[in-house]
Amino acid sequence: METVSSLILIFIGAALINNFVLHYFVGICPFLGVSRRVDTAFGMGLAVTFVITIASFLSWVFTYYILRPGAPLPLWVWNVMGGAEGATVDLSVLSYIMYIFVIASSVQFVEMYVRKFQPKLYESFGVFLPLITTNCAILFACLEIMKHLQDPTQLWGLHEALVLAIGGGVGFTIAISLMAGIREELDLADVPEALKGAGIALIVAGIMAMAFMGFTGVDRGVEQALMALIGR
Amino acid sequence: MSDQPTAAERFLNGILPENPVYRQLLGMCPVLAVTSGMKPAITMAGATAFVLIMSNTLVSLIRGLLKPHLRILVFTLTIATFVTIADRFLAAFMYDMSKQLGPYVPLIIVNCLIISRAEICASKQKLGTAVADAVGMSLGFALALASIATVREILGSGTWFGIDVLGSGWPAWGIMVLPPGAFLTLGLLLGGAEWFGKRRAAKAS
Amino acid sequence: MSDLPENTTEQAENVSMPPAVNGEAPGDGMAPGDAAADSASSLPEKKSYIGQAWLVILLAFCFGGGLAFVQTTLGPKIAENKRNETYSVIPTLVPGADQESTEELVVQGADGRDVRVYKAFSTAGEHLGWVIPARGQGFADVIEILVGQDASLETITGMYVLAQKETPGLGDFIRGEEFQSHFAGIPALPPLEVVKADPTETNEILALTGATISSESVTNIVNATIANLREVLATRAGSNAPE
Repeated sequence: METVSSLILIFIGAALINNFVLHYFVGICPFLGVSRRVDTAFGMGLAVTFVITIASFLSWVFTYYILRPGAPLPLWVWNVMGGAEGATVDLSVLSYIMYIFVIASSVQFVEMYVRKFQPKLYESFGVFLPLITTNCAILFACLEIMKHLQDPTQLWGLHEALVLAIGGGVGFTIAISLMAGIREELDLADVPEALKGAGIALIVAGIMAMAFMGFTGVDRGVEQALMALIGR
Repeated sequence: MSDQPTAAERFLNGILPENPVYRQLLGMCPVLAVTSGMKPAITMAGATAFVLIMSNTLVSLIRGLLKPHLRILVFTLTIATFVTIADRFLAAFMYDMSKQLGPYVPLIIVNCLIISRAEICASKQKLGTAVADAVGMSLGFALALASIATVREILGSGTWFGIDVLGSGWPAWGIMVLPPGAFLTLGLLLGGAEWFGKRRAAKAS
Repeated sequence: MSDLPENTTEQAENVSMPPAVNGEAPGDGMAPGDAAADSASSLPEKKSYIGQAWLVILLAFCFGGGLAFVQTTLGPKIAENKRNETYSVIPTLVPGADQESTEELVVQGADGRDVRVYKAFSTAGEHLGWVIPARGQGFADVIEILVGQDASLETITGMYVLAQKETPGLGDFIRGEEFQSHFAGIPALPPLEVVKADPTETNEILALTGATISSESVTNIVNATIANLREVLATRAGSNAPE
């Protein structure tokens, strides 16, 4: 039950309180670029969530078994090759390269899937689907997972990594859909020439960030409620 | 090849006319994230400059060998390696700053600015021009980071580079060092840059 | 025809990748590329993928060597920085402790989870106290602290905030000297309480103005850690000779 409550807290944290776009500033480019209409924005949000989940799954697996300090696979190779006993093998210097290739492959995989099974969606995305590779949000999720796989006494399991990824993707979808809704209305408003486009979008994002700051402390309340529920 | 911009043109272009943040709207993630103070902003500018210059150098040197469908792979590999080097360097010699910048140094890998310069300039022009382009763009990026960081740090903490400039009478606008302040500052400064650009274009015509 | 690319690549290596030249013999990296480039020009179309990818493979070798070099030279410095983050605070948290004599142990708390604790010794080898890392939910995000206790586990000798993301100007004063000094030299039991008026009992901590929840979070983390590790640390006390 404690695991479930910690997973819920991770999810709420990633989706609302520490929203990837409005708190951590990742995924800004699609947030500003693809948020003109609610349906494209929502589709982009779902695509990003899909890619984040796959990329995080692969990142966790590779980091846990190969890249973290003291990982089992390189240690086994080291021992097989007759290396010194009791050594700690640390391949974490290759982490970033590994992550960016995992992300590029995940995007490629999703692109092939969408092109085969949803051709109309593929066409409406256009060039934005491969551009998800440069979406900071996905690399950020991988980096967060890596951060939680450094200390051998406090390792994140696959479930926690996936919940963070899905939570981050859901948060991104919420933020981009809200922004699209607001911008559809803004099209009818009288915006000063200089601020049209990115300027007013960023100011709106600032106000949204202020609103999302109101979620601070929600996880404490949820944690207390859950603890009371399971009778502690 | 003679209709391509010269080294001097590339250099000057990157600072204001094609400023990476104010004109091209690239690399917004670090711009918003690390500009709560001047120190992290300048450190980030330095790290980005290192990666951009080294990446442009290498890509320009091997530009004759790049196969069209594998070039993005080569760019990505190069950039990821240099970012790892920059990140390790910061962790070794500026540990506190490295912790403060956190995940934003590795996020330089997906900074569209670097890969776009490799694609547009370094893979097509010789070494000197590519380096000039990288230096110009780095200066432009540093300018953007510094301008936003100045506004946010002075209004938000009353300091600049950690030095008190406004005195204790100023009630620090805490919101400026928090996420909303970042968005608002960048939005207003972008609007300002647009307005200046349009006025100059109107005067020129 | 195939000579030109190889020469340019060697040039590229020497000019722009000095770490690679130090870290690995260029010959090793070049050989597969050479063979592949030669075979590509003489084999039919379907083999051309390897031939076309020789640059990527070569770059992968070079970059791998470069990164290995960076890791070998900078790795120890980074590990030392991480270690110093905690170790440099130990003399402040446990008065009289010698930074270099500290021992690291991994113990299992009452909640079943492993915790890495630091056993503080004086230069003479006398066991002076414990420094325990702890973390918990604050107002905005997770707060990481170090709690100092004396060897008998009766007194809290200090508290230090390692990482926090509380509200700037309000909650983030938990890392200020004043708030942290509230925790120095008070009894570990009964559990600490946060009060808003001036404290009357020894186990009361004065809350920060406008940051009650941040203050309470830190106090809860301290209480939880002390309770969690009380039993197991009592069994590990005593003066082992430090290395």
